[in-house]
Amino acid sequence: MDEETPPPHHRFAVLPQLTPRSIIALVIAFLVLLLFYLLPTPAGLTFAGKMMIAILIMGAILWITEPIPLAITGLLIMIIQPLFGVRAINDVFASFGNQAVFFLIGAFILASGLEKHGIHRRIALRFLRFFGKNARSFTFGIMASCAFLSFIMPEHGVAAFLLPIVTTILIASKVIPRQSNFGKVSMLSVAYGCSIGSLGTLIGGARNPLTVEILAEQGYTVTFFDWMVIAMPVVFISLPLVWFILQLVFPIEPLDISKARDTIDTQVKEVGTLSHQGILVTVIFLFTIVLWVFFSHVIGLAIIALLGSILLFVTRSISWKDVEQHLPWGIILLYGGAVTLGVGMSETGAGAWIAQLVINTVGEHALLVIFVLILITILLTNTMSNIGAVAILLPIGFAIATEIPTISPVLASMVVALSGGLAFMLVIATPGNAITYSSGYYSTRDLFKAGSLANALCIVILFAVAWFYWQGVLQI
Amino acid sequence: MFTNILIPISSEFYSKEVLKRSISLANKLQSKIHIVYIIEEKTLKKSEERMDSYRTSYERTTLKQAIFNEQTQTADSIVFEDTKQFLSTQNILVDEKIVSGEFSDVIIREVKEHHYDLVLMGFDKECSLRYRLFDHIDVPVWVVASAEQRSLLAVCSNLAPNQKVPLISQQLSTLFNWPLHLVYIVDPQDPVQVDAAGKRVGKRSLKDLVADGTAFIKEKREQGIQASIVVGPLEKEIIRAAKKHAANLIIVGREQKHHTLSGLTGKSTKRKIAEHCEYSVLFVN
Repeated sequence: MDEETPPPHHRFAVLPQLTPRSIIALVIAFLVLLLFYLLPTPAGLTFAGKMMIAILIMGAILWITEPIPLAITGLLIMIIQPLFGVRAINDVFASFGNQAVFFLIGAFILASGLEKHGIHRRIALRFLRFFGKNARSFTFGIMASCAFLSFIMPEHGVAAFLLPIVTTILIASKVIPRQSNFGKVSMLSVAYGCSIGSLGTLIGGARNPLTVEILAEQGYTVTFFDWMVIAMPVVFISLPLVWFILQLVFPIEPLDISKARDTIDTQVKEVGTLSHQGILVTVIFLFTIVLWVFFSHVIGLAIIALLGSILLFVTRSISWKDVEQHLPWGIILLYGGAVTLGVGMSETGAGAWIAQLVINTVGEHALLVIFVLILITILLTNTMSNIGAVAILLPIGFAIATEIPTISPVLASMVVALSGGLAFMLVIATPGNAITYSSGYYSTRDLFKAGSLANALCIVILFAVAWFYWQGVLQI
Repeated sequence: MFTNILIPISSEFYSKEVLKRSISLANKLQSKIHIVYIIEEKTLKKSEERMDSYRTSYERTTLKQAIFNEQTQTADSIVFEDTKQFLSTQNILVDEKIVSGEFSDVIIREVKEHHYDLVLMGFDKECSLRYRLFDHIDVPVWVVASAEQRSLLAVCSNLAPNQKVPLISQQLSTLFNWPLHLVYIVDPQDPVQVDAAGKRVGKRSLKDLVADGTAFIKEKREQGIQASIVVGPLEKEIIRAAKKHAANLIIVGREQKHHTLSGLTGKSTKRKIAEHCEYSVLFVN
């Protein structure tokens, strides 16, 4: 019997697929709603605000325990708001139909073009060949290629496609899973490289356009270029330092990587030169990026993303089948729930009410508030979906910033958004961790050991960048 | 004694020590070795579930297949290659196969379907295997650790039938020429006597249990075996005795310990012993 499947006497006859853990999670989540409904509304909060906090807690419970798919929790968050009279039905669905949803759809279509023509593979192999002088630099090559590709593709897609490339190299080098530090560092470099790289642009993770959208709803514009200017220093500082931590935690054993180099060379030969269609996709993608960087504030992120996608179809570079294979509708639904949660928290005043509670507890000290925001977001993002963690904390962070004159809402939102991508400690924290863990090269303890140190380091980096660069130099 | 040895190797954990030990055993006993490489479906499933909202069905299937292929390659290029190298100068019969499933399920099924008389395996508490097989199969399970000493420790107690342990211990002691020490543990946490058939036959006073244990070790001493008696929790006393006697191999019988006051079984005693003991353990069921 599979260990995941509980023995028959533990199963519920009516709902055979639900484990007792799932049933308990669902019951607690709905009890929270009921409890909040029955409790008197606290001073300073409306009934809608009180119920929005209940929906937030329910969402957090369901996103952490996952008795139902993450995307379905997103849908539940949407339908419960009108059911409890928190927000009008049209308002809820209207906030789902924002341009960031279409930006995400366009970005996924563009990424499927890159995947179809193996452009991502060529980029990764070039990186690996360039850094393949010795075992240590090779692991940096893995991390750098993952980070770079996560600027232009969703991070979990990068982790999934890099995994077979890296494992082929490890097997050729006779690296024994779990016992070799080279194997551990290589796989952790894939996971962490993707996570860190995903902070850099709006494409890397859905939480990034979510942040931009929630800020836009409140009247703050962050363009594609603005995002890069704000986030890239965090990427470029974190990447080498986290790599250095991996080297310290798992010193790489003396290893002959000539076979690894041979394997890379063989793979480079196998992919061959880029086809005409591949060149066309690259040109369209570069054109789209140029438009995003320089004209997104004029034309709009979504229009550019969809324009690039349409060009891929017009030039017959991709087919609808490719889109079907690579466009995860689940993430769009998850995103929808997250954005309505964020907007609902702001509109009902629930975010401001929680913000006041936080300020009453930690005070109005800007440095302390930034530190607490980073810390809480990192802890939460390690236990649940990144986008869920950002959706829960963004409205609170935003509201806190509006109450403290020395912190701008953009700064607080960026702190939450970037911290939300730093899920290093647990397998469940992000698909990138789950994908690389399944290769068997590191244990959960290895991940926690390296991840907790990497997270501690990133808290310091993010804090320093927020204070000295964002506030001091960019004055946001 | 052990003519057909099953060596299960999980994609979660591979130890060369197991192969080395199997070769020394097979050489002495003229045994046949059967290596089964198990690709852990549970890990693949977990990873797939984590991605359900992020990746399309096509992408998840493709990735699962890629991981499956990678682990098959690991078995072929690393595990089976190591076996070939170790056996290059030996005359030992070996068969190898790759299966996917859950570690304990596969072993339980293999033991049911084939006539293995020993399961020889590694142990890693950091991996996600739960080692349910310890309590679910009737053939001896030898958990190989890397520490190498030169002594055998046989563990008898009020909670085990104490039939096979002294016998197998003596056979192994003769075979490897390792000194044998037998320890009888009276566990005050679960003061019952287990009979020769392995059944709990009722509560007894500590004094009576100690008297029975003393009689047991007296009998063993008369047979020329070094033996001693201790009182304390089974798991702790085993680990303490293993350290004291620098045991290379600890031989434990089919204990019937209940772990909580309500009589419900908590974490398996065998698993606790395997987790905390630095030495190899042979569970004789």
